[in-house]
Amino acid sequence: MTSMRLTGYADKFSVHPGDPIKFYVNCNGPAEYKVEIVHLINGDTNPRGPGYLDKPVAADVNKTYKGRKQIIHGGSYGYVPDAKAFHVESFTLQCWIWPTAPKTHPRYWKHGAQGLVTKWSKDCGYGLFVNEDGCLELRINEHRITTGVPLRDHAWHFCAATFDAATGDVVLYHEPQVVYALDPVIEPVRQILKLAISHAPVPVGIACYVESLAPDDALAASSKPAGVVFAGKYNGKIDSPRICKVALSRQDIETMKLGAQPGLTERRNSGPSGRLSEVIVAAWNFGKGIDTIVASDEGPYRFDAQLVNCPNRAMTGYNWGGTNFDWKHAPHEYGAISFHDDDVDDARWSADFEWSVPETGVKSRFYAAKLTTSEGDEEFIPFWVVPRVGQETAKIAVMVPTISYMAYANEHVACNAGGAELFVYRVPIMQQQNMYLAEHREYGGSIYDTHTDGTGISISSRLRPILSIRPKYDHFLAQAPWQYPADLHLICWLETMGYDYDVFTDEDITYDGLARIENYNVIITGSHPEHNSGPQLDALHNYTQRGGRLMYMGADAWYWVHSYHPAYESTGRGVVTEMRRCESGIRTWRADPGEYYHQGTGELGGMWRFRGRYLHSVAGTGMSSEGFDVSSYFSRTPDSLDPRVAWAFDGIGYDEKLGNFGLVGGGAAGLELDIVDTMLGSPPHTLAVATSAGRHTEAYLLVMEDFGFNQQGLDGTTHPRVRADIAFHETPNGGGCFAFSSIAFCGSLPWNNCDNNISKLVKNVLDRFAADGPLPAPPADAIKHRGRADYDPTPPEHRSRKARGEFLSG
Amino acid sequence: MEAIPKKGTPERQRLIDEHKACIDSMKGVAGFSVLKCGEPGDTTVVTGGVHADPVLKRILLRMRGESPKGKLVVICTKIEKEWRIGRLSGIRGVPPEFIDDKIYDDEQEIQHAIFLIRLDELPETYGFPEDFNEGWKRKDDNWPVT
Repeated sequence: MTSMRLTGYADKFSVHPGDPIKFYVNCNGPAEYKVEIVHLINGDTNPRGPGYLDKPVAADVNKTYKGRKQIIHGGSYGYVPDAKAFHVESFTLQCWIWPTAPKTHPRYWKHGAQGLVTKWSKDCGYGLFVNEDGCLELRINEHRITTGVPLRDHAWHFCAATFDAATGDVVLYHEPQVVYALDPVIEPVRQILKLAISHAPVPVGIACYVESLAPDDALAASSKPAGVVFAGKYNGKIDSPRICKVALSRQDIETMKLGAQPGLTERRNSGPSGRLSEVIVAAWNFGKGIDTIVASDEGPYRFDAQLVNCPNRAMTGYNWGGTNFDWKHAPHEYGAISFHDDDVDDARWSADFEWSVPETGVKSRFYAAKLTTSEGDEEFIPFWVVPRVGQETAKIAVMVPTISYMAYANEHVACNAGGAELFVYRVPIMQQQNMYLAEHREYGGSIYDTHTDGTGISISSRLRPILSIRPKYDHFLAQAPWQYPADLHLICWLETMGYDYDVFTDEDITYDGLARIENYNVIITGSHPEHNSGPQLDALHNYTQRGGRLMYMGADAWYWVHSYHPAYESTGRGVVTEMRRCESGIRTWRADPGEYYHQGTGELGGMWRFRGRYLHSVAGTGMSSEGFDVSSYFSRTPDSLDPRVAWAFDGIGYDEKLGNFGLVGGGAAGLELDIVDTMLGSPPHTLAVATSAGRHTEAYLLVMEDFGFNQQGLDGTTHPRVRADIAFHETPNGGGCFAFSSIAFCGSLPWNNCDNNISKLVKNVLDRFAADGPLPAPPADAIKHRGRADYDPTPPEHRSRKARGEFLSG
Repeated sequence: MEAIPKKGTPERQRLIDEHKACIDSMKGVAGFSVLKCGEPGDTTVVTGGVHADPVLKRILLRMRGESPKGKLVVICTKIEKEWRIGRLSGIRGVPPEFIDDKIYDDEQEIQHAIFLIRLDELPETYGFPEDFNEGWKRKDDNWPVT
């Protein structure tokens, strides 16, 4: 199998007509590659469907370009530019650390020493490290002094080192915070080194060290600051690092744990005492500016460190007491930064070509820069042309779930997770993209993955090649398209049926609010808009409240709290998204205690449900189960006969099997399923017009937030909540929501060239929702009081098909 | 726990036959489960397989719960055309390696090949006290999600 030799990304997901979009390409091997801008229509290669479809777009960038290799300088760290004050003769280095992978497998992708606080490169300078054997190590020039004691992983340790140039005395301290009964005592290591420190003109590194200054190197080019290659990326937390310019006594080191004390009264110096204030070079306080990517130095020189590749902040420190859970209220207990050797916030590549989207003639659609070589390489860089607010060109708009795409970006679960097979109920299938990512961890993971050190990934950037947002890509979860390529099933249907439509992204609605959507008659979602910002949910609610219509084409939406990190606003809209997996919900990793609040916006992470924002309140249904083996189909319910909604079934028989076909799991009801629940936010007048109850396999399981006690009987063969409900409800002012409640649903739309009963149902709904003016008023007798739990089982419309004698065959 | 059936036993052959029948019926489905389609390639009605055979179900669950190191995985080498069996390294940054040169031309068929390999590779005592080791105390047992 050929390795991926072409990879790339654009500076924007969403570009307006008249605006430029830049493309960044890594072409590793081929001398040149060809660019064609294409309008993407279908991304699914399944021979039972229409196959891959695109349309060429005339563009001045459609030509051949010279290839060049571009590399991602991955792994998070901090740095401070070189300064005279760091050129000390003697020193004390100290910090707290909580290493997560002090000792790695010899074949681990970044096996070797890890930098903690370093002013060291190529055997010049000084610094604290975790060495290759997982022991604390002090480096002074070419000398290595180690305790020889392995650092316990996932535990706090206080580390310090002193060097007195006059006497040559070196002392290295390793003091674990927790000492177990059978732990040996760790004595300070003392040594005499008669030498003068050779200072290299390199930055101070935090969680790294400088490997080289190599301005012409592809790796150095993508570094920050450009031209400096950092190595030894550390995995774990660092808290309260300090550098002093003398060798302190152990007593003074203890006092220096306090750091500079800018809050003291009768201020005459930077503290913590007059004498110690005279020797501070730097005393960083990571609890300050948590929502930024600058690590604040409270010492006299203001050596603030720039943080690169977005390490995790708002992390509990060595002194976290378990009583404060929100960093905003106790920043002094959140003085830790958690670094990972595979963090990436921006690939920082050089642009290869730039397209100015014409003001006219390019419709608002799904596009990609299609890159090919004569040797058969192929890569797509997707983007969306989105009208400016007020310049909408259609009555229908598709909301492209780009936050969800970012959450799933470069996902590694099939390769990393032992249990992946348990939830897909078969052996996962990896594609070329997964194989490439398995080797190139510098491309970063998804928010479903754990970092290479095993901690959860809560940050995702779009400024990197995202190999999962690609056509011709089947996801192991579905053994079919998922997310981006699955949403192309919907696009293929819209195109085939001849609808005119605009597209916009999660970014656009998050930043523009209601203005982004209020001029459309109907908004259509993607198949799985699971990850959402608060402003996005606000805009959707305001829209439907004012008479807007929402077609929710999938399932498991409005589930996780996301926020765009404000520190990246200067590089574009929605560059970095953050999400923490807190105490409930379907979680491939779980945040540690005290680490539930986002570092960027300070808001509580986790499920919207546990912030009192029920999923079912947005479009009428909410997630109830998931399973990933095969899909099933829907049957109509008596609700579907209600004149409020019967129009949706024009041309569809009452007993028809709805969607017992499809390109995702073989049916319209599959993967993740939503149901109506008036106790969880579905409006009490919601009509559940079709259901897949009773038809799912044992691979389908009830979501864990719906039960409090582990028990048998939670799967599709036994539990009544393992089902999908297609539902309709009216919103005020002639608005409405139709929820199709299954991720697999859109996979049935293109079946049989879009001639099928799912296509007919969606067409009926879309035609009605897209019409100008409010929806026709419901019958007068539909206006009545309804409870949430309470209902009257006697009227015919509240009875089941069975009670009405309407049995289904087959 | 359900022990892995011994080689050459009728029980083992029964599981293999049922698994294969499910595989054959699932060809053409954009998804997969060890269940039998009423009509080949059509999931309108699915029966048998893990729904009807509790031993098959439990053996498969135990295979699926294996730790990543050395675990078998399918690798699609030509879209819609070719698939091969790989083995996960269990080490971050080290991609899976192919176990042999054999190419499968059906994405379901390869599931059966992996089932057969696992039946041969997993010892009868897999998951029993004979297997208990230091790793079981350190999150290296069989049920990590990620």
